[in-house]
Amino acid sequence: MIDPITYFLLFLKASLFSSGGFSNLPSLHQDLLARRWAVEANFGESLALGQISPGPNGLWVIVLGYLTYGYLGAAFALVGLTLPPFLVLGVTAIYKRIEHQRWVPGLMRGISLAVVSTFIAVFWTIIGGQDWSGWLICLAAFGLAATKRVNIPLILAMAAVVGYLLYR
Amino acid sequence: MHRTQQDHRPGAWRLFLIWTGIGLQSFGGGATTILLIQREFVEKRDWMTMEEYTHYWNLCLFAPGINLVALTILIGRKLGGIPGIFSSLAGMLIPSATITCLIVAGFQQIEHNHITQAVLKGVVPATAGVMLLVGINFARPQLTLAYKEGPLSLVFTIATISISTLAIIVLQIPVFIVIVGVSLLGIVLFTRPLFKQRTSTDD
Repeated sequence: MIDPITYFLLFLKASLFSSGGFSNLPSLHQDLLARRWAVEANFGESLALGQISPGPNGLWVIVLGYLTYGYLGAAFALVGLTLPPFLVLGVTAIYKRIEHQRWVPGLMRGISLAVVSTFIAVFWTIIGGQDWSGWLICLAAFGLAATKRVNIPLILAMAAVVGYLLYR
Repeated sequence: MHRTQQDHRPGAWRLFLIWTGIGLQSFGGGATTILLIQREFVEKRDWMTMEEYTHYWNLCLFAPGINLVALTILIGRKLGGIPGIFSSLAGMLIPSATITCLIVAGFQQIEHNHITQAVLKGVVPATAGVMLLVGINFARPQLTLAYKEGPLSLVFTIATISISTLAIIVLQIPVFIVIVGVSLLGIVLFTRPLFKQRTSTDD
C-alpha cells in the first residue's frame, strides 16, 4: 500500500538532489523499487513515453507517477519536480550581490561557453549511435529548423512519420 | 549586460497562454523547448535579448531539478512578477502534464511497443538536429562579442568551447565539474587586466 506523504517526499527528494531532466532517475529507481511501489518495467516505459509526450523531457517523472499511483501520483510528481527549481531565485539573489565584482563577467562568459559545449555533447551523445539514415534525419531537421520557416513540432512530426515508415 | 529597452508586462493570462503553447509544442525533449522559448520571447516578441536569455540559462544551471522549470520561473518573474511566475509555470506544466497522462492512458490500451520504437527512431535524431541549432544559437552572442574584442578573445573562446566539449565527450568528466572548471578558466581568460596594479599612478 502506497503511503502518499512518503511517496511525495521521495519525488521531492529525487528532484532536490538532481540537476537536469534525468538525474533524478537513480534515486527514484532505488526508493520506489525498494518499497515495491514500482516495478522495473515502469521506468523504461516512463522514459520512452516521456519522450513522445509534450513538455520538457523531465516530465517523464509524471508518467512514472501516473503508472505507479494514477492521477494522484502524476500530481505528486508534478508538484515534487516544480518546487526545487524555485531555489533559482536564491541563485539570482546571490548573483545580484556579486554582479559588480570585476571577475564576474569573465565567470559568466566561462559558464556560457561551457553551456555551449553541454549542448554539443548532448547532440553528440544522441547522434553517436545513429546510422546514415539517422544522420540524414538529423541534418534535415537542423536545416529546416535553421530556416525558421517550419514549426519545430511539424519537423518532429515529419521525423516521426519517416521513422514509422523506415523502421516499422 | 545588454537588456531590452523597457520592462514588458504582458499580464498573467497572456503569459499563461504563451507558455501553454510552448509546453504543448515541446515534443522530443529539452532542445525543442529551449528553441521555442527563444522564438517566443526573443525573436517573435522582442521581450528579452539573447544575452539575457543565455544569462538566465547560466543561472538555472545552479538550481536543483529541471533547468527548464527554473528558466520558466525566471522568465515568468521578469515579464510578470510573482503572478507571472505562477501563470508561466501553470501554462508550461499543467496542460502538457495532463496530455501526457492521457497519452499514457491511451497507450496502455493498445499494443504499442513496436510502433513507439519506430517513431522514436525517427524523432530522436531530429532532436539531435534541433540541439545542434540550440548550441549554435547560444554560441553566437559569445562569438560575436569575442570577434569585436579581437583575435585573441576569439581564439580563447573557440579553444574554451573545444576543450570543454572534449572534456565532456571524450574524458567523460561530469558536466557540473566541467562548468565550474570552465567558469574559473573564464575568469582568467576574460578579466582584463587580470591583476590590478597596486601602485597605479593614474587614479
